Amino acid sequence: MTRHHPDSLKLMEYSAGNLSDPHALCIRLHLDQCPHCRSRADMLDSLGAVMLEQQSPVSVSHSMFDAILARIDESADEPFSPSIPDSAGPLRKLLGENLNNLPWKRQLGDASVYDITDRFPGQNEQVVLQKLTAGGKAPAHTHRGEETTIVLQGAFTDNKGVFNQWDFVTLDSQDDHKPIALPGDDCITLSVLSAPVKLTGTFTRLLNPFIH
Amino acid sequence: MKLANSTHAIVKEHPVTTLEQTSARSEGRKDPWSPLLEKVGKSQDRQAYHALFEHFGPQIKYYAMANGLASHAEELVQEVFVSIWRRSCLYDWRKAAASTWIFTIARNQRIDMLRKMRRTSVEMTVETDDLWQIPGNNEDEPVTSLHRLMSERRIRESLKHLPEEQTTVIAKVYMENKSHQRVANELNIPLGTVKSRVRLALNKLKVILQDQNA
Repeated sequence: MTRHHPDSLKLMEYSAGNLSDPHALCIRLHLDQCPHCRSRADMLDSLGAVMLEQQSPVSVSHSMFDAILARIDESADEPFSPSIPDSAGPLRKLLGENLNNLPWKRQLGDASVYDITDRFPGQNEQVVLQKLTAGGKAPAHTHRGEETTIVLQGAFTDNKGVFNQWDFVTLDSQDDHKPIALPGDDCITLSVLSAPVKLTGTFTRLLNPFIH
Repeated sequence: MKLANSTHAIVKEHPVTTLEQTSARSEGRKDPWSPLLEKVGKSQDRQAYHALFEHFGPQIKYYAMANGLASHAEELVQEVFVSIWRRSCLYDWRKAAASTWIFTIARNQRIDMLRKMRRTSVEMTVETDDLWQIPGNNEDEPVTSLHRLMSERRIRESLKHLPEEQTTVIAKVYMENKSHQRVANELNIPLGTVKSRVRLALNKLKVILQDQNA
C-alpha cells in the first residue's frame, strides 16, 4: 500500500492531459498501484467531462458520421486487442525485463544512475533511474528545480519519511535531501528533473551525475 | 467510500452489492448516455452510436478548437469516435459514466495527435495509452459504481456554485490545456493565486481526498 501520493493539482494536470510524457509516466505507474488515487483521478476526469459539457458545442459536418462508419467497416476485420492493464507494461517497454541488469553507471559509493532522457525525444526534462544499494547512502543534495520521483523497487528513507515501492515524491529547491536505502532490495527510483541537482555535501567537486 | 450514516445501517442488513447496484441503476437512469454506450459495446448498435455522435461530436469539436487544433478539429472528432467504437467492448457503466469515459478518450486522442505531429526521427517507445489512463480499465476494482456515478452529478451541481474566477482557471486547464503557470501568465496573476483558486475549487467539489503532500 503506497502512502505518498501525488497532490491534487498534479493529478488534475494529469487528468487534463497537460503533463509531459515523463511526468505522465510517473503518475501512471503510481495510479496502476494505488486505488485511492485512481478514484481521485476518476473524479477529476468527471470534472473534465462536466467542464466540456458546459462549453458551447461546435456543429460538425453532416457527412462525418458516414465517414466514421466507413472507417469502422474498413477496419472491422482488424481485431482490437485492448492492452491489459499492467503496471510493468510501460516500464517493461522502456527498460526490458529486469531493472537490476540495466547498464548502471556507478556513482559515488552506493549510488548508480542510468539516464533515459533520450527515450523521451522533444522533452525538456532529464529522466533518470537511480539505484541505491540496499542499506546504502546517496550523497546529500538539493534541487534547483522540481524533482518528481517514483519508487520502482525497494524503499528509501530521508528526513521526510519512508518511501516504499510505488510511492510518489515531489522535491523542490527547499528540500535538502539525503536518502538512505532500506535493507533488503536495492532501491530503484525513476526521477524526472526540471533542472540539475546540486550536491550539498563534501563530494560536490568530485562528481555530480546530473551536471554535464 | 463515504456513505451517510443512515445508509450504513441499511448496508449492514442487506448485501452491500444489492444496495449499491440498485441505487447505481436508478442513478444510471438519469444519465441516458451510459446505457447507449453499453449498447454499442455489447451489440455494435449503430443507432445508439449515432445518438452518442450527435451529442458528443460537437463537444469534441469544441475541445479540439479550444486546444489550438482548429485545422484538425473534424479529424480529431473522427479519431475519437473510431476509438470509442473499438474500445466500447471494454466499457462498463458501473465503472465510469459515458461522458467521463469519452472525455478521457478525447484527451488521449488529442495527446496522440499532437505526439504524432511532433514526432521526430526517434520512434516513441511508449504509447499514449500506456501513459494516460482510461477509467475503469482496472478489473480488480471493488464495486464503487454508485460512488462513481454520483461523483459526476455532484460535480455538475457544485460547479454551479463556484465563483467565476475559479471556474475560469479550471476551464483553461481542462479545455485549453494550459499549465497552471501558463494560466497565471495569461491572467496576469501570480502562480500561487492560480494554485489556490484550483485548490479552493477542488475542495468545494470534494475532489481533494486526504491530500497528504499538499
